[in-house]
Amino acid sequence: MKLKAAKVPTRRAFADRLVEYGEIDPELIVFDADIGYSTYTHLFGDKYPERYFNMGIQELNAVDTAAGMAAEGRTVLMASYGVFLTMRAVEAIRSFVCYQNLNVKFLSSHGGLTPGIDGVTHQATEDMAAMTTIPNMKVLAPADTESARRSVDVSMQTPGPCFVRLMRDPLFDIYGPDEQFQMGGSKVVREGQDITIATYGDMLFQALEAAETLAATGIEAEVLDLYSMKPVDYAAVRKSVKKTGRLLVPEDHQKRNGLGYELAAYCLREYPVPFDHMGLEDTFAESGDYYKILDKYGLSAAHIVERAQNLIK
Amino acid sequence: MQPHKDTQKFNERVELLKSKAKEVRHHIVDMVYTAKSGHIGGSMSAADIMTALYFDILNIDPNKPRWADRDRMILSKGHVCPVLYTCLALRGYFPVETLKTLRQFGSILQGHPISKTPGVDVSSGSLGHGFGQSIGIALEGKYMKKDYSVYVVLGNGEIQEGLIWEAASAADKYKLDNLVAIVDDNRMQNDGFTDGIMPMDPIDKKFEAFNWEVMKIDGHNMAEVLATIEKAKAFKGKPVCIVANTIKGKGVGLMENEQRFHGKPPTDEEFQIALKEIRGEV
Repeated sequence: MKLKAAKVPTRRAFADRLVEYGEIDPELIVFDADIGYSTYTHLFGDKYPERYFNMGIQELNAVDTAAGMAAEGRTVLMASYGVFLTMRAVEAIRSFVCYQNLNVKFLSSHGGLTPGIDGVTHQATEDMAAMTTIPNMKVLAPADTESARRSVDVSMQTPGPCFVRLMRDPLFDIYGPDEQFQMGGSKVVREGQDITIATYGDMLFQALEAAETLAATGIEAEVLDLYSMKPVDYAAVRKSVKKTGRLLVPEDHQKRNGLGYELAAYCLREYPVPFDHMGLEDTFAESGDYYKILDKYGLSAAHIVERAQNLIK
Repeated sequence: MQPHKDTQKFNERVELLKSKAKEVRHHIVDMVYTAKSGHIGGSMSAADIMTALYFDILNIDPNKPRWADRDRMILSKGHVCPVLYTCLALRGYFPVETLKTLRQFGSILQGHPISKTPGVDVSSGSLGHGFGQSIGIALEGKYMKKDYSVYVVLGNGEIQEGLIWEAASAADKYKLDNLVAIVDDNRMQNDGFTDGIMPMDPIDKKFEAFNWEVMKIDGHNMAEVLATIEKAKAFKGKPVCIVANTIKGKGVGLMENEQRFHGKPPTDEEFQIALKEIRGEV
């Protein structure tokens, strides 16, 4: 698997496609909360000023206002950082966007530990737990430029609310422009028969790097990109673990109530296999370089290699 | 001297609303008593305002609850839905007998308003969020050039929520002059008098500071209520906040300014006394 350095972060890739989508859907409205130059929604605002509302630093009211507009039959994209959307504005998302099943889509930047240097207040390490738990919400977590771009189309074309987890910094690219994505879909990014590594977002690259290292020791890992966090592609997981007989889930998130919990429950119910799970161990991280933090908190490729080897032993 | 024809017509509207408000209060007491649950005090304080809206001001059609050009009405202090449900039933959105099912299993009349109930524009009840949504609805109306007015009823306790002031500043930024907020200022909240819990006075000055046009009224003087809402509707250039001085439990002596009637139903005896008083039999 050849990883190419990405030119732009996924937040930018999403925002670029959003500008294009403004033409596809001339009724689309975009809201931001004073970080339009960080979420890049200002690009939409520059092109369609009459359809861009900067609500200032008030995420809670911004989501309610978006809900009010969506209640009038409109599709609204609301952009902010993951931690602010999923913590400060969570009640508006739950009780007014999701309960009313409105067409509000969320561009959620700074997912997981990707805003390492910003510190814990800006790291969204409980966002997947909060969003996947709310009825009617769909959740996407694209890993690269192309899948982030396509997340705009997938979220807009799926009725009801949708949350898209994006990253702060450019990482890598794996998908070409012809790749198809869908709600509830997944990708086998690397085939193998010894162990399944299922993950999403930025951790996909750590998993792929780990898989290369494992291959050098004779272990062939299958790597799944579960970019659709909710609904999850259980069938793909089942197919893979049926082949490999082992499942490892690394994620840039708290271990509790993340993808690992979801897949462990699924496998226990449907197809039990030896299982391990990596994420934040009920702890906050800290400020610093993203890669150094990943390593310190046990989420780098080297740690995935070690845990995979232990699972195979 | 004969009163002016317009004055005479206005007075007739006021008299009609006053008698309708009695009917509304009767149903509020009856439905909360029947349900053995519900918020009676704040429903009674908002009863005159809500009656004026639903039986005079609002441009709505009960046969077409989602008609695109209708006026919007959001009860942000959603816990006082007994007054909302009563108005909707009496306007014909659903049968009056449905009021007896308030808060019961399978009822369309949920504990707090939801948008699935005919006539309810958006869900509300977690305080502040109705106001936030009303900003979006007014934005849609103003910037997409739709010709409707948006009314939102707030509680004096509710405005303690920080969200209220986020929404108030957004309404100022976008000069939402199609939006009229009415604060049902009954001086009380769940745990007692607002002055003791978390004082919010001066409410009028606070909204003025957020660049709203503010009008103050006696929320139980129907002529004042009606005339002021009409004035607010016509006001251009800014959103309008009407601060309505009201009495919690208004209309039933034993309930007025009684903390117990924020969220508790009357006893059998209180129920009988209340109905007699509303009917004017005592």
